[in-house]
Amino acid sequence: MANSPRDSPSLRCWKEHYLVNLVAWMTMMNAPQHYTLFPLALGQILREHAVPELHLTLNAGKWDYERWGYPDETGVGSGAELWAWMGDGGSSSIKERWKGMQNALAGLFCASMNGMNSQLTTSPTRAFPPAGDLPLLPTPHTYRLLHATLAAEHVCTENLTPFLKLLPCPARAGIASLLMPHKIFDADWHGLGVHVRWRSGVGVELALAVQVVFDPVRVSVEQKRDWSLRSVFDRTVLHPCPVANSSRIRVKLPSDSGSAYSITPEPSEVHGDFATYDVSAVSDELDVALRWPEETAFLYTTATPSSALSDFSVQRALKGASQTHGQLSLVIRNNCPDEIRVLYLETMPWHVEFYLHTLRVERDGQPQDYLSSNLTYTPPIPHSHPALLQTVLTLPPLSTLRLSVDAHKSFLRYTEHPPDAQRGWNLPPAVFVSLSPTNSSVTSGREGKGWDGARRVYTSVMLVDLATPDFSMPYNVIIMSCTLIALIFGSVFNLLTRKFVVVKLPMHEERTHVVDR
Amino acid sequence: MDHGAVENDVRFQKSSRLSFEQTKLRRTILASYWTVVLLALPLWWYTTSIERLSLPVSRVNSQRDKELRFPLRVELDTSAVALDTAVLVKDVETALDAVTRRAPESFGNLDLHITVAQKDVLSPDAYGVSVIQGIEEPLIQGRSLSVPIQEVSHIPQLLSSLLSPYSSHTGFGGLEHLVAKYAPRYRLAFTVLNEDAAGGQAVVGWDVQSSISRHLSFFLDRISVLHNFTIESQLRFHAPLAFEPKIVGSDGEEVHGLTQDDLKIFVNSAEWTLSSSVSNDPVLHFILFIPSASHAPLRILDADDKPTSSDAFILPQWGGIVLMNLPQNAPSRIHLSTPELDHTFSLFRAQLLTLLGVPNLPAIVALTDPSSPLTDWQLDALHRRRTIENTISSKETLESIVQLVDEIPNMPVGPDVRDDIQDALTALDKVYASASSSPMLALQYSSQASTLASRAFFNPGMLALLYFPAEHKYAVYTPLFAPVAVPLLVTLFREWKKARAGADEDKDENTVGERSTRTDQKD
Repeated sequence: MANSPRDSPSLRCWKEHYLVNLVAWMTMMNAPQHYTLFPLALGQILREHAVPELHLTLNAGKWDYERWGYPDETGVGSGAELWAWMGDGGSSSIKERWKGMQNALAGLFCASMNGMNSQLTTSPTRAFPPAGDLPLLPTPHTYRLLHATLAAEHVCTENLTPFLKLLPCPARAGIASLLMPHKIFDADWHGLGVHVRWRSGVGVELALAVQVVFDPVRVSVEQKRDWSLRSVFDRTVLHPCPVANSSRIRVKLPSDSGSAYSITPEPSEVHGDFATYDVSAVSDELDVALRWPEETAFLYTTATPSSALSDFSVQRALKGASQTHGQLSLVIRNNCPDEIRVLYLETMPWHVEFYLHTLRVERDGQPQDYLSSNLTYTPPIPHSHPALLQTVLTLPPLSTLRLSVDAHKSFLRYTEHPPDAQRGWNLPPAVFVSLSPTNSSVTSGREGKGWDGARRVYTSVMLVDLATPDFSMPYNVIIMSCTLIALIFGSVFNLLTRKFVVVKLPMHEERTHVVDR
Repeated sequence: MDHGAVENDVRFQKSSRLSFEQTKLRRTILASYWTVVLLALPLWWYTTSIERLSLPVSRVNSQRDKELRFPLRVELDTSAVALDTAVLVKDVETALDAVTRRAPESFGNLDLHITVAQKDVLSPDAYGVSVIQGIEEPLIQGRSLSVPIQEVSHIPQLLSSLLSPYSSHTGFGGLEHLVAKYAPRYRLAFTVLNEDAAGGQAVVGWDVQSSISRHLSFFLDRISVLHNFTIESQLRFHAPLAFEPKIVGSDGEEVHGLTQDDLKIFVNSAEWTLSSSVSNDPVLHFILFIPSASHAPLRILDADDKPTSSDAFILPQWGGIVLMNLPQNAPSRIHLSTPELDHTFSLFRAQLLTLLGVPNLPAIVALTDPSSPLTDWQLDALHRRRTIENTISSKETLESIVQLVDEIPNMPVGPDVRDDIQDALTALDKVYASASSSPMLALQYSSQASTLASRAFFNPGMLALLYFPAEHKYAVYTPLFAPVAVPLLVTLFREWKKARAGADEDKDENTVGERSTRTDQKD
């Protein structure tokens, strides 16, 4: 068994926000029952359900590509996202293993992954290619991708605690000791990621990633952008993790030459824009701090940055006030002077059904349908399977594309509504994958393939308001119909069994009264 | 008053003469309503009742009186020495009877037949005891026991401890409660727990596979007829204790001690991730605990808070823990090799055997083949013990189901529950039938019975209607049934009153007759 765990957080800053990205990764060779650094709890799940590649992200908040640029870990869709490549065939069906794996992961991470039923599961292979090499299978069997998103999942301490337990050095030593729940869940954006892949000659690799976006100005009393590990995390690194092969902190130095800054302590190495600290060489407490001594208060810049941090930006909305019809509308802006081709992937639960013939692509108010090509559409199966829409969009340089498609909102069965039905249904984020070779400013700094496959851009999640019944309705119906039946019964029964006589009153002889006796 | 009006009045006043105002017709209508209601009752009952199949209660109850008997044949052979075999047989029988009387629960299931060995060869299903000269201590080989002539008086004691399914009367009485419940599959989880790897020394690797094959494989193979084992192992680098060990002085140095109460709360299950949760098989944990530098050396204290020489303890039915204090001058990252783990794994082996209920050999007995330390005598005793336990537990489970179903009238009993119970009863019958012929088969059937009984007990279908209470039903029924029932009952009551009044009228017919005549005249 060979293990090579590495802690490698990097701190990046923009104008006022800091991204902290902590990654620990480890490798397991083929000794499936005996674990040293690879977490047993996760390894057994992978083994039991025969999963060579698995990606799970739990994120809270909306990633702002405009202000923060591209994240180091690609999977930043809000909520929980799970995708896995699994071999088809074998003794148990792929559906059963997918279900079993969800239940096991839900138990392991205290998340509601078990809610990812077939109504949410799709297989968009183009947007989620395997990040590793999949082991060869005997000929009749092939690999299949299963992907599901739970946009409503909330990420909190109960997810972080089991996540930290997977690390060889949880919360007490090494860089993972920085992860204090109070500070992390106070951040502008935070996400956990578990990535497992298999590589030939290496074995099973696992990466545990935490991404957090902090805003030091927001928490600073003096409105300054100075930060230190203690101010950001309320912790410092006390001991290095004794089993880590390497343990480094990389700080991206500010690139704006506006004011002077100081960084303490002296970094072990400065390479380009990055200052690197080797945690394993540090004997006592390590508290990295970056200060702007001459700055009294940080002023937010009001002007938009001259060069956009993302190649293209997407806004997605579901329009229309009615409870039966709506229109999905996307506004995609290309910020680059070059043409970009992107793969647009939309996974829709069956209760929002597209009218595909109404798909329109407009540029500057002119219909230009040729900009959308290679369209594939898997129609939804009501009550069981979601719809999957994939198309390649060509974005002309520095222009805005509007895409719209009419949708029909289904009427749900009484029992299909969630407990908080009035809140609406979460629709998973749409995914964009850039097909053009990207320029160097946005490529991931890691060698070879990224941990979680191709770089993807997630839109924000949406809420759809479906027609919601009054949930006391069945009882009202019961009471109403019972009352009607009782009334009809009573009158018919009375007519049949009562006795009617005519009584002549002596005073008014002309008049007769029907009185029942 | 014109003529027509008078005629009308007459007709209306004599309303009982009209066809639709006749008492008889009215009563027929009422009766037909009630007939429909009464006929609908069984249908209503059928559609709203819970499926409660009748359970084989009498068969379950009859199990209580049945007792599992294992007939055992022991052949005594004294041909090598000058001893009267018949007298010896008699002596041994008397002594064993006394043992059985003393401890009926541990020896009561055995029917011992002690015979004199006829031939040189031992019958395959019999135990052989031969008295020979020239050896120092009793020897065991296969199912035969050789006793030196000077130890003849110990034969009853040896036999009782070797054959008894429980080891309670052999002086290890305190160990009985440690034995884990029988399961056809176990997972063995071996874990190295570094209390704090960052604090200095840490074990970062161990030769667990070779140690397991060296110390445990033989046992696991021998016991594989009883249990299947899955083995997993892991290393953890941070495992804090939930309490602070007590500091005691011993021989001038300070040691950290675990008191007897600390041992019970030693496992910090909130912080330690010890095994995976992929299957429901019971897990036996074996933990090698490396105390941190601040807690080293860690010792187990006796009742008087004096450090003991022992460095291992068993948590009942859960697993075993071995403490390993690293030497002061050890390097900071340690890889434990197989020889270094010998002591640990021999402790793990002893703990495993205790947890699985393997009876110990009597102290004076030696083995002819020390490389195979698990004898047929022990295995057979374990078979019998597990068969008895399984039988008792399945009987108890079946009785509990019957009692539960009896106590909760809303509990549904589906065909799967009934079938499981019937199958469990059938398996139990097979246990009794095969106990004399094949202990192995008996064990298999008993395990099957126990599995089926607990599956029936935990059948999720039996919980279904607990969430649909009776109040709910009445809330739905009342709005319909109350308004319908009231007129039906009131009319019935009125008719009954009228009928009684009518009967009274019949009694004093004269008065009524006069009155009616008078009315006629008046008209």
